[in-house]
Formats: sequence, structure tokens, C-alpha cells
Amino acid sequence: MSDWDPVTLEVFRNLFYSAAEEMGVTLCRTSFSPNIKERRDYSCAVFDGDGHLVAQGEHMPVHLGSMPLSVEAAIEHVPMEPGDMVVLNDPFRGGTHLPDITLVQPVHLEGEAAPIFYVANRAHHADVGGVTPGSMPLSNSIYQEGIRIPPVKLVRRGEVVRDVMELILTNVRTPIEREGDLTAQIASNRTGERRLVAIAEKYGPDTVRAYMHHLQDYAERMTREAIKSAPDGTYRFEDCMDDDGQGNGPLPIVVTITIAGDSARIDFTGTAEQAQGSVNAIYAITLSAVMYCFRVIVPFPVPSNYGTVRPLEVIAPEGTMVNARPPAAVAGGNVETSQRIVDVVLGALAQAIPGQIPAASSGTMNNLTLGGTDPRTGDDFAYYETVAGGMGARPTSPGLDATHTHMTNSLNTPIEALEHTYPFRVRRYAIRSGSGGSGRFRGGDGVCRDIEVLCPCQITILSDRRVHAPYGLDGGEPGKPGRNVLVSLDGDERELPSKASVSVDAGTTISVRTPGGGGYGRPGGREG
Amino acid sequence: MSPKSRPVIGVDTGGTFTDFVLMEEGRLEVHKEASTPDNPAKAVLAGLRHLLGDASADVVHGSTVATNALLERRGARTALVTTAGFEDVLQIGRQTRPAIYDLDVQKAVPLVPAGLRLGVRERIGPDGEVLAPLTQEDLRALVERLRGLEVESVAICLLHAYANPEHERIVLQALDGEIDAFLTSSHKVLPEFREYERCSTTVVNAYLGPVMSRYLSLLAEELEADRVRIMQSNGGIIPVEAAQQRAVQTILSGPAGGAVGGFEIGRRADFRNVITFDMGGTSTDVCLCPGALTRTTEAIIGEAPIRLPVIDIHTVGAGGGSIAYRDPGGSLRVGPRSAGAEPGPICYARGGTELTVTDANLYLGRLSPEHFLGGHQRLPVEPVREAMKAFAAEMRISPSEAAEGILRVANATMERAIRVISLERGYDPRDFTLVCFGGAGAMHAADLARSLSIPRVLVPQAAGILSALGMLLADFVRDYSQTLLLPCAGLDAADLEGAFAELEHRARGEYEMEGFAADQLVMERSLDMRYVGQGYELTVPMVADFETAFHDRHHQRYGYSDPQRATEVVNVRLKAVGRTEKPSISKQQLGSEDASAAVMSECTMVFDGVERTASLVNRSMLRPGNAFAGPALVVEYSTTTVVPPASRCVVDEWENLILELVTGRQ
Repeated sequence: MSDWDPVTLEVFRNLFYSAAEEMGVTLCRTSFSPNIKERRDYSCAVFDGDGHLVAQGEHMPVHLGSMPLSVEAAIEHVPMEPGDMVVLNDPFRGGTHLPDITLVQPVHLEGEAAPIFYVANRAHHADVGGVTPGSMPLSNSIYQEGIRIPPVKLVRRGEVVRDVMELILTNVRTPIEREGDLTAQIASNRTGERRLVAIAEKYGPDTVRAYMHHLQDYAERMTREAIKSAPDGTYRFEDCMDDDGQGNGPLPIVVTITIAGDSARIDFTGTAEQAQGSVNAIYAITLSAVMYCFRVIVPFPVPSNYGTVRPLEVIAPEGTMVNARPPAAVAGGNVETSQRIVDVVLGALAQAIPGQIPAASSGTMNNLTLGGTDPRTGDDFAYYETVAGGMGARPTSPGLDATHTHMTNSLNTPIEALEHTYPFRVRRYAIRSGSGGSGRFRGGDGVCRDIEVLCPCQITILSDRRVHAPYGLDGGEPGKPGRNVLVSLDGDERELPSKASVSVDAGTTISVRTPGGGGYGRPGGREG
Repeated sequence: MSPKSRPVIGVDTGGTFTDFVLMEEGRLEVHKEASTPDNPAKAVLAGLRHLLGDASADVVHGSTVATNALLERRGARTALVTTAGFEDVLQIGRQTRPAIYDLDVQKAVPLVPAGLRLGVRERIGPDGEVLAPLTQEDLRALVERLRGLEVESVAICLLHAYANPEHERIVLQALDGEIDAFLTSSHKVLPEFREYERCSTTVVNAYLGPVMSRYLSLLAEELEADRVRIMQSNGGIIPVEAAQQRAVQTILSGPAGGAVGGFEIGRRADFRNVITFDMGGTSTDVCLCPGALTRTTEAIIGEAPIRLPVIDIHTVGAGGGSIAYRDPGGSLRVGPRSAGAEPGPICYARGGTELTVTDANLYLGRLSPEHFLGGHQRLPVEPVREAMKAFAAEMRISPSEAAEGILRVANATMERAIRVISLERGYDPRDFTLVCFGGAGAMHAADLARSLSIPRVLVPQAAGILSALGMLLADFVRDYSQTLLLPCAGLDAADLEGAFAELEHRARGEYEMEGFAADQLVMERSLDMRYVGQGYELTVPMVADFETAFHDRHHQRYGYSDPQRATEVVNVRLKAVGRTEKPSISKQQLGSEDASAAVMSECTMVFDGVERTASLVNRSMLRPGNAFAGPALVVEYSTTTVVPPASRCVVDEWENLILELVTGRQ
């Protein structure tokens, strides 16, 4: 505590954070996947020479805990030299789900053998192969989900390894777009490298190393302060996923949180065994969700780094939905199950620190994938988007309408951009009024998004909260569950389940109606 | 049009003061009038009367009326007409929350509430094709509904109207004369794709139009209407009538005046690459000018995206009034909370109890207690000393370390702002001069320049009223654009000629109506381009080989380019400049280096923990050619300049202070 000063700490927090942010600007502005450029489904981060997280841009919360495990896996499996970059997406070796491709690079100072930093970025690619376009399938093993890339070098001493690049590009539906995105990812890491080397040269490597550790200690202190404010005790909460898309469900997610002083144990014992369908979360996802929950209860902006996780002990029994083993299907664990993990952890924390935690938000990212052959060009396409829902009401204010919550904050694709690029016609994009749960404060309303396909298409919807509603708190009503409706050219409506993959004719409309957030407080004294 | 014999006056309405700069035959007169926020015109008219009496002048006005109406949500009751099924696009926005880790996050209330958003059945496709026509019956029904809503203003934004404005025109015609309201349609305000951003920009114009019209009519009644010009966010001026139609273009009028002023002053002093740095009480504006004023179409103001070209000003929440505190993790933080003008910093002795950046400057001797605001208000040092001692004790450091720490943390925030606009965009700060203004700018500029390896700082002669001065140095500027979304394969300059010619035709027509001659107009063509499949564009000048220009720009901005990859033209842009005669600022003869006549006394300042004896210099006594070495403190009415050790200050022919810094290798 004596060897750092509060001013330099703040200066370094700024420096590392802006390096991570700048990596994000390069990635977002030069990439090709709508998922990256329009929806901003990516993360960029700076690590110390041991691979411990120092700073992460304010990008995707779901990548909070999982980026460090990517760097760890890269270090463990591949000896890296200056100018090398390791690529990976294998969920069981540092990845999350297959569309998320991560690039890890060591940053060396001249004349030093060991790296002083690592930089890494992860981006959700529009397609990585597998049984359905967009690679977010209703699968029952990882082998159906696309190309699986263990940690291997994509860049060796500054040069792209063409063999590896070709191997990846050969296994995906839209190789030109993929190569563009990987190039953007390489440029992003190099941006980080340039900036960090300049920082190390300016302040000296010893000071920089020391302050990376001080920043981690600092985040740890902040998190411990927040935990200390909760009374010691054990708090249990249970919720469930509707199903796994293979006819199995409901699937319970259970958490027991034990607060003892300034540390917490988060135990998921009691959660369902790993499912046959693609709703399994690997450990990194579960860790991210837990980190997110403890991050939001700290009343000050804390840097997201290795220190945040130190006061937390996460117990996720292997072979369950919150710590799946290979060859489990995992496409939806990242996007769906992660939201439910947040719901149960916050549900338990609401007992520990009542009056600070909101009711459940929509609890699903409503992943919609549309794939086919564009009649205008003859080219195959795979389009993926997520649709926002209602935010849960807060103890002192209503939930926001039509907003992404918790583990995601990705943007929508502009309708005019969508219709220009793909053979779709958007028929409606509206707030689903009345879907938020009532209460003293009302839950936010979900969204209705209706897209007509103008050519035969494979439509895959990976969603949840179609059966089991987002909970209200303190007497507030639950939000309305969502619906997935297929409308044929002649107006016939067909209800689809939470998770479905169907081949449809031109002229069919998929109408995604997302869940509202839960209400807060008894509806009587209604204020929101 | 020519202002040859007439005096010209720049008027900048600020939160506390309304600034006036009168230029007449090379002579410059400055005046300040207390602002009258309830009716800003009052201060404007009072100041004009003071300077002019009964004489007449050309007035260029930077107004905050539109800005404040937007930020405080005091605009007109506005309705929005959209394609049926898309009434909520304005509210959904990009479906994101503004802060990820804040459970209490709130979004700005939409400018048009749900009950005033009306859908009309029609549809146009991405290529401009009519998929569903408008019917007379629906139009009649729309008029009826609007009549019942008693709105002052109506915005019209239909899907793909940039590709085919026919339906918006039909709606506009149907409402014109039938509804007593201000009418705005998206194809006129911003004929570009991306429905939310276009809608937001159009709605802001509708929301502010009636407010701005009222204000300007009021001014015009008092003055002759043809004498008043309005400063726009794009760095140019327009006549009153145009500003009434395009209120959205005036939102950043004050800051734009500052950037224009900073750039023009730099240019006259032969520094073409400048970064303007305007540090006020609660925030700091920075703007990069690599030989020209840079502009962006990605501004977001009051949470509303505004896609029109505006001077690319980056704002951060750190200023003289920013409050210093220690967070539970032990880190020293500064801002974004500000003590503002009330209660203000501790040293203002108006009840402030929390240490601010200004207090830290005072503690370190970088602000002279005797010379604040020309010596009208003596700043008490003792309460600041006590507060700093207590604050430092908490952190177990010395009070001067704490005070220097506050400055370092505040500077880090500002340094990050300059990094964003320079390094992140592929520009090296070492090639730039920092032009600083605003009350606090010149106290921080040298430190900031040094940490970014900027070799030189320019403190303008009129640093306190630079925005008002900038307004006098601005040309008329009108921007036009059109979305094309054309692949570049097989495309050459001749294919784009038609689109540009159409924009130019409109521009010339509008300027002719205002009496401009053809030789006063300069047309600057540019293209928004990207690689096919990217989501962001880069703007490049229209040249014969525009593809190569794009690859080069991409490489400069992002560190790589791929000449094999297909590119496309997203928008064509035209910046139509109407040149006006500028008032000339007279250059003076350089005299002797000896500055001793301006040195009032010695003072003590702290740098890197060491107390140093410094010269206290009276700026009004400095003459062109004077030069002196740091450490020194230069005081004047509205600002204070810190000249640190290992630097040298010279006064140039325009009476600017030029600080040459010795910077380390980087």
C-alpha cells in the first residue's frame, strides 16, 4: 500500500483503459460482420505479463471473465514469440462459443525476453460453419456448431500464417467477410501494442509493471468494500431455462451465495446436468456472469480486471449447465444461459441487500439467424441479430423499454442497412406495449420485430423466457413471456417454441415478440 | 453583402457572460454583458446598444437558444409522422443502454412521446421503389389526427426517403396549409440512410425550429433583419431565415466559434496544424485542425444523434470547477462532478467546501490571488491551504503533492481527450501547436502539451472572447449530401458528376437568393467511402482517383488498407462556401526582447514538488517581440498563463503569447 500513489494510479487507469478502448475503435470501424461493426459484439483488453487482466474496454460484459481464460489458454498451449498472434475459439480451451474468435498477442519491449503485456480481442463472427448459417444452431454436440479452433498461431513474427487462415476460411460460409474481420482483429491488437509500448517507454517498464498490479489490488479493494456492505449469511435463489431446444425442460439453475466478511462464495450446486441441446455454459461464461453481478453492486466505477475476481469463489460443478464438458453443445450458453445465471445471482443478492437490486429483465437475447441464397446476387448469406427486451423495474424507477440488459449491449442493425444488404423486408419494429410487469414501478416493455424474407430461408431462433416469465420483486408482477410467431404469405400464424429452426418460403414473416421486464413493488402504490 | 465600411460585431451568448467583439477598420473592441438566460436577446441588444449607439453593423451571432432548449427539453410540442409499424424507432434508438454497469441507468425521454408519433401506411424499398403507395384517404385521416393534437411542429421521416423522397413530399404537401405548424421532412434535413439517426436529426430540427424562429424574429424586429447572421455548428454562418428553418444546425454554435477562432488565429501566426483547447468551469472542448477545421457527422447532443456535419469538437467533463475526491479504493479522482459557478471552488468564497482544480492551481501559485479578474476579487488562500492539508493527510502525502496530484489527474482526462482526436485518428501531436483559451486553458496548456510532446502553446491575444472573434472570421457554409450506396467497381468520377451537379445547383440557387456572386462561392466535393461490407465510412476529397485516396486514408486512420478489396461510395457531400470579406487584424512591428517593463514582481510557484521563484508578468504591458524564460506567471483580465521552467515565452506580431517547450524524446 505504501509503494503507490493515488495520482499515478488514476493516471495509469486512464492510460490502460484508453488503450483498450482504442483497440475497440479500430476493430469496430474496420470490420465487416454486422455483429461487430453495427452490433459491437466484441471486447478488447490489456493484460499483464502473467496474463492477468489489467483493463478491459466497456464492451461486452459476457466477455469479462472469459477473456482472461483465453489468454491463459494461449499461454499454456502455444509458446509465443515477439510478433506472434494466437487465434482460438474452442470453448473448452479458452473460447466461449464458436462464433467468438479471439486473438491473443504478447507485447515485448525491445531486448526483453518475457512479454510485459498481452493484448487480446474477441469478436462475434457472422458465421463459422456448422449445421445452420450463422452458427447459432439448435445442436446437440459441439461438432455441429462449426469449425473449432484450438490455440494456434495465426500470425508468426508479424506475418499471417496462410495455412491456418486458409483452413479457417475453407470451413465457413462467407470467407471473404471472415478474412476481413480477422484482418480487423489483427489491426486492433497492433493498435494496442503500439500504444502500450509507448506507455512503457514513457513511464519505464518497472513503474508500468508495478502499477498494473496496483490497479488489480485497487479493483479488489473496491469489490471487497461492496461485499462487506452485505450482511453475512447464506442466500439461495432458483430460476430455470424453458428448454434446451431438444425437448428437454424446464432446466433449473440454482445458486447459493454465502457472504462472509469481504468475500463471497457463489455455489451453483443443484443446477441441472449439462443439457443435450445448445444451452450449456462453459465455466468462463459463468464466471463472467458472476463478475458482472458483483461489478454492478459496487457504487463506483471500478476497472474490470483480475482484482475483481479475487474476493469471489465460484463453485460450478463440472458436467452441469454452468460448467459443461466436451462435447457439449454450447452455442446458446453464452447468450441465453448467461442471462439466467445473472437472474439467479441477482435474485439471491436481492435477499442480501434488498432495495438495491432490480426485478428480472427480459432474460434472453432473442438470437435470430436467417440464412439462404440471395436471389439478387446468387451469393450465400448468413445474418444474425439479437433483439432487445424490457428491463426489470428498479427499486426507485421503472425499467427501460426495448433495451438490451445485463450481459449484452449490442446495437440493432438499421433497417435501411439491413434491407439494402439482405433480401429482407422489415414489416414492424415497435415497442410491445403492456409486456412489462406492473408494480409500484413498471417493468420495461419488450419489442416486436417482424422480418419478412424475400427468398427461401432457414430461420433459426434461439430464445428463452417464452414459458417462464421474468420475475418481479417486492410484490411486483412478472413481465410477460415472449413469443415467436411465423406468419405465412397468406396470413396463417404458427407459434414457434423458444428454440426452433425451420425452412420457410419466400414471403414468410418471422415475428419476434420479446419479454417485458418484471415489476418492482406492489402495484397499489403505482408510480411508474 | 460586402461589409467594407460597416463595422462588424461578433456576439457569443454564454452561460455567464455574453461576449461582444467589435471590428472597425482594423480596430478591435471587446465588451462583456451579463447574460440574461430568461431572454437572451436582452443582453444581446444591450451590448449592441453599448457598442454601437445608433450606428448600424453586421452582426454575427452565436446562440445557445437551440442548445439549451434541447438540453433542458423546452422545445416545441412536436408530432412525428413515420411509416406505419415504425412509430417507435425514435424511442428504441439502437436498443442499447448508455452505461453498461449501472443498474440505475436512465435514457433520455424521446423528444416526441408515443401519443404524438403517427404512422401512415406506405412503403418505399431500398432502391427507392414504391412498394405500397400512399392513399388520399390515409392522408386525410392523418391531417385530421394532427389537427386534434394541437402541435406546434411536425417532423416527417419515412423509411428509405433518402432513396426516394416522393412520399415525404406528398405528406408535406398534404399538411402544408392544412396544419398550422412548423414542418420538417427528413429528405430535406438529411437525405442519408440509417433511419434512426435520420429521424433523430429531423426531430431535433422540428423540436427546435419554432423556438429558434421566435427568438430570431424577436431579434430581427429590433435590428434590421438583413444584418444578422447566425453561427452554425459546422463552422460557417447562415442568414437568419435559413437558421429559422435549420435550427438543428446551430446547436454547437458557441464552441464552433471558438474552434474557428483558434484555428484562424493559429493560421495568421503561421501555425497551420493546431489543436484548440478550450477549458472552462465544468468541461473542456478540444478540436484537431490538421491544416483545416475537421468535421464529423457523428455528433450526439443531449443523447440525440445529429448526423449533420459539425466541427469535430470532443468534450470531456473536466474543468476548473471539477471536484477532487478520494474513492473507496484509495484512488484520487477529479470530476465529472463540478462546483460550477455556485458555490464554486473554495477560493471563490461563495460557500464551496470541496477542493477543485482551481483551488489546486491557487495552492501551487499558478493562479495569482491578487490578480483574479483584473484584481477585482481577491482570492482567499488560507481556507484552500487548510482543505488541502486535510485532503493530503488522508492520502499520507504532502499538501503540494496532493495539489499537483489533482492537476495531474485532471490533465490525464484532458490528455485522453486530445489522444482520442489525434493519435486515435492517425495524427501525431508532435506536429501540432496547442491553441488554448477559456478561463482555465492557459494554466494547464503547458503541462498538457509536455505530456503529449506537443512542442508549442499559443495563447491568443483575445483568449477570453475567442468564440465571438471566431464568428467574425467565419465564412458562410452550407452542407449538402445524398446517399448513393454505389460499388466503386467500374465507377469513375464522371459517374458521380450528376449527383454533385444536383447538389451544386441547389447550393447556387440558395446563395443567389441571398445576393452572392458566382465568384464568391467555393464548392468542396467529398465522398463518404468504405470497403464493401463495412459499417463506417471515411470522408475523402473528391479527386479523380478517389479509390486510392480512400485506401490511403484507411491506412492512415487504422494502420492498414487492402487495395484488392472492393470499395463503395456511400454518400456524396458538398460543402458550399460563400466567401465574405474578413475584418483584418493588424499586424504589429516586433520590438525588443526586453520584457522587464511588464514584470510586476516575483511570485512563488510549485513545480514537481519544488518551490520556484517566478516572474509575475502583466500581459497588458507586454509588447510584440518581448521574450522571457519560465518559470513565470502572466496575468490578464480573464485568464492566467503558466510558463513552466525549461520553456520560453515570446510575444508575436499579433500579441499572441507563444510558449516554446523543451520536450523529451518520444
